[in-house]
Amino acid sequence: MHFDLTDDQKEIKRVARELLAARSSWARVREAAEGGARYDDALWRELCELGWPGIAVGEEHGGQGLGAVELAVLLEELGYACAASPFLSTAAAAAAIEACGSGAQRARWLPALASGETTAGIGTRALCADGVGAAVLVLLERPSGEAMLVSGAECAPLATIDPTRRYATVSGGDAEPLGDGGGAGARAAADRVRAAVAAEVVGVAQRALEMTLAYVKERRQFGVPVGAFQAVQNRCAQMLLDTESARSTALFAAWAADAAPERLPEAAALAAAAAADGGRAVTASAIQAHGGIGFTWEADVHWLYKRAQLDAALLGGARQHRARLAALAAGRVAASA
Amino acid sequence: MDLTFDARETAFRDELRAWLAANPPGTPPHGDEDAHYAWRRDWQRRLAEGGWAAVHWPAEHGGRGATLTQSAIFYEELAAAGAPLPANVLGLLLAGPTIMTWGTQEQKERHLVPILTAEEIWCQGFSEPDAGSDLAAVKTRAVKDGDEWVITGQKVWTSMAQYAKWCMLVARTDPDAPKKHQGLTYFLMDMEQDGVEVVPLKQITGESEFNELFLDGARVPDANVLGGVGNGWKVALTTLMNERSGLAFFLQVRMRQLLDQLVGEASARGLLDDPVVADKLGELHLRCEVLRLTAYRGLTAIETYGQPGPEGSLTKWMWSDTNQALTQLAADLLGPEALTDGAPWAFELLRARGNSIEGGTTEVLKNIVAERVLGLPRLK
Repeated sequence: MHFDLTDDQKEIKRVARELLAARSSWARVREAAEGGARYDDALWRELCELGWPGIAVGEEHGGQGLGAVELAVLLEELGYACAASPFLSTAAAAAAIEACGSGAQRARWLPALASGETTAGIGTRALCADGVGAAVLVLLERPSGEAMLVSGAECAPLATIDPTRRYATVSGGDAEPLGDGGGAGARAAADRVRAAVAAEVVGVAQRALEMTLAYVKERRQFGVPVGAFQAVQNRCAQMLLDTESARSTALFAAWAADAAPERLPEAAALAAAAAADGGRAVTASAIQAHGGIGFTWEADVHWLYKRAQLDAALLGGARQHRARLAALAAGRVAASA
Repeated sequence: MDLTFDARETAFRDELRAWLAANPPGTPPHGDEDAHYAWRRDWQRRLAEGGWAAVHWPAEHGGRGATLTQSAIFYEELAAAGAPLPANVLGLLLAGPTIMTWGTQEQKERHLVPILTAEEIWCQGFSEPDAGSDLAAVKTRAVKDGDEWVITGQKVWTSMAQYAKWCMLVARTDPDAPKKHQGLTYFLMDMEQDGVEVVPLKQITGESEFNELFLDGARVPDANVLGGVGNGWKVALTTLMNERSGLAFFLQVRMRQLLDQLVGEASARGLLDDPVVADKLGELHLRCEVLRLTAYRGLTAIETYGQPGPEGSLTKWMWSDTNQALTQLAADLLGPEALTDGAPWAFELLRARGNSIEGGTTEVLKNIVAERVLGLPRLK
């Protein structure tokens, strides 16, 4: 039992944190957002040169040959930076195809996704992140829970409240289940995508928490930092609890994806439910703790709040995952009775 | 990252399971607190004979030198087997390790074995009517008289005092010390003497787990000072630091069992088809798993860095919140039958109210998180 990142994973995290601090500052994120989700091409090129989109893709398809945990580490940092980039969609789709795709699907899509030459979209037909311009989409269709691979679809830009990312609605296209004939493999692919989105949310929440802590230590009212007031402190403590709850479950899901696939359905539902609600709660608290300035366009916490809202929507909301968890718990109880 | 148990951990679990299968704990008597406690005392004696009473203690003192993870496994398995905690849980988790850290050779030789076998039960004399969360505010006085100390004051929330032979007592030996956490001394006090009066405190459940302790001229010899005169704050911190690690795993499994029971009863009533009910049960399932996972992250942090990470401060808070939500949902779903006098769910509902108070109130835990983990300033 060792529930922590390895030294190598911590090193990936450190490198990513440093690089993104330099390349994806709030000024850059704001520039992209105010330009209508205009992605930073230079940033994307750099991420591709580092091989990050293919971090969880096998070497035979030009990837790094690492796993879901390393992908989660990178996604947390991209979320922390709130980076304006097709990284989440492309890397998560590539990881799902790598792990669950048929031989033909892997050969067809992975080399160009791993190199970043093409990008992917993830989500549903009603809300697809990075659908416009994507070569392939990984769509999470309900109610079967299977992930579908869709190509040649029409993606219409969808302006959402989160302009740090491009979204689309999807129609048409050729759809096939991800993997050989769908079923468990296609459901696992969907769970891997959810685990990836949940990992991003952990970073979003972590950033919101850190910005809030810095602010309430600095901002003074009644002659003291507002962070000295217990009502503010309790809010911050709750933010930590929600962030760490999301982190525990997101790490569990990422680990389970590769190391204990039989536990992935439950782990992904846990991670999705914790992230969908936790991300929104933490980022909403960040706005509140920033007071009036937090409600202004000028402060940057709102980008995190908006990202958390859209990530929750990509996850399909916490409720369906709680229903899944309740059914799992009921099944387990019935089986042991 | 590896969330599986390694060969040593698995071997430990297998050995314990085999022992529990060969030595089934049985069912403690219900309704009579004294009989229940006597049963638990016998249960600990059986555990001690099998070498399982204090797995986290070093082998030289009768333990197994278990790692934190093995210790967590022990508590998980104990709960999974439906067994209660050993009777002398405060001795095993708090007094023993504190004596190992601060005790003289004589103190270790005198006290550790009877703790292990439950021959001598221990209670904890920290909290007072005006010193609950604020331990440094204790008023109980200890005055030197020859080679003895004379103790006067009152302690409260003293669980197991009615059965205890010994008390971990924090008292003020220097009322003139410049800061209030200075001038405290930690005593090992014999409970069986004039000047010690134990008065049961009836709780909202109707049970009396806790007591008030009235000390009027109780005497403690110099030899029973632990860790030196005036050093009580540091010694008490050792006790408090020990308090929350292993138990979290026992409580976590117990809560999971309670949730499984609720899911079963809800299912039998056809309530799972109600999406609102399913949503609430799903949320409780999530929170139970978050607690389990976060507790394991905490263990890894302690094993790696020697101290808990930020997540370590959160588990007790999570547990009490979740247990309260769970028992409240049971009352919602099961209706009057969960609220009748003597119903197990009624007891759980009422007992859960204490969860967010005992062992550190949720309010104080949030303060600790804010100040020590998040580094927020203190209001002067």
